[in-house]
Amino acid sequence: MTSEAAFEVVESPHPGVPILRVQGEIDVATSPELHELLSDLIADGPGVIIVDLTDVSFIDSTGLGVLVGAVRDVRAGGGDLRLVVTQPHIIKLLELTGLDDVFSVLSDSSDAVTP
Amino acid sequence: MMRSVPAPEFIGANQYNRVELSLPADPQMLFLARMTAAAVATRAELGYEQVEDLRLAIDELCIALLGSHPGAGQIALLLQWDSEGTLDVVGTLVPDGGPSDDQNQPERSDAPLSLELSQRILDALVDDHGADAIGGVHRAWLRMRRREPSL
Repeated sequence: MTSEAAFEVVESPHPGVPILRVQGEIDVATSPELHELLSDLIADGPGVIIVDLTDVSFIDSTGLGVLVGAVRDVRAGGGDLRLVVTQPHIIKLLELTGLDDVFSVLSDSSDAVTP
Repeated sequence: MMRSVPAPEFIGANQYNRVELSLPADPQMLFLARMTAAAVATRAELGYEQVEDLRLAIDELCIALLGSHPGAGQIALLLQWDSEGTLDVVGTLVPDGGPSDDQNQPERSDAPLSLELSQRILDALVDDHGADAIGGVHRAWLRMRRREPSL
């Protein structure tokens, strides 16, 4: 909780549905990397993208801004971006910002890949 | 943007517990502000949920300061709390006199959205917050009061 968790994004191979597993803290320092990775995926073509935040210990407004920008872009192309969230404080953050109505939020990535 | 309202007047500073932290105005360093916030919130006997809330709120406060003059100087944070469970944080951006990195900051399309989200977060998490700029010095502040843990 009080230590700096290393930020890392790993793309898990999954047929037709890329899953980005994010670890650590998404803040003003690390959100540009997430933005770049999502932009690359969106540029690859329309489809469903899963962002798994299960191992994210912290996310701030810059990280949320990246995710909202990405979901807008991917939906404009006919795709979707789904979040996997299990941390209570991140669920709370999505609720208090009203973003729980913007994203498809799931508790397991296997649910997220279901059409 | 944060509301332009004056920072709270601290009465009898010696009645308060006080922590001061100075860190480079660099996004890579904000984790230090979050770590300090967690330690202070624990010391001020805030509950677990409020500790997490304060970590996020201080992060948002620092983002506001970074946005006011990116890439130059120090962020000075003053955290004060009393035995009644009122915790105040005032952040000041202290320019180092060098050029800002405004020209080098990539303009991202999600930046205005992040600002709006930051405002929503602070509105929800803290009891009061604001920002001002006096004589070219940018400040941002927040106040959080200890809540009874929800059952």
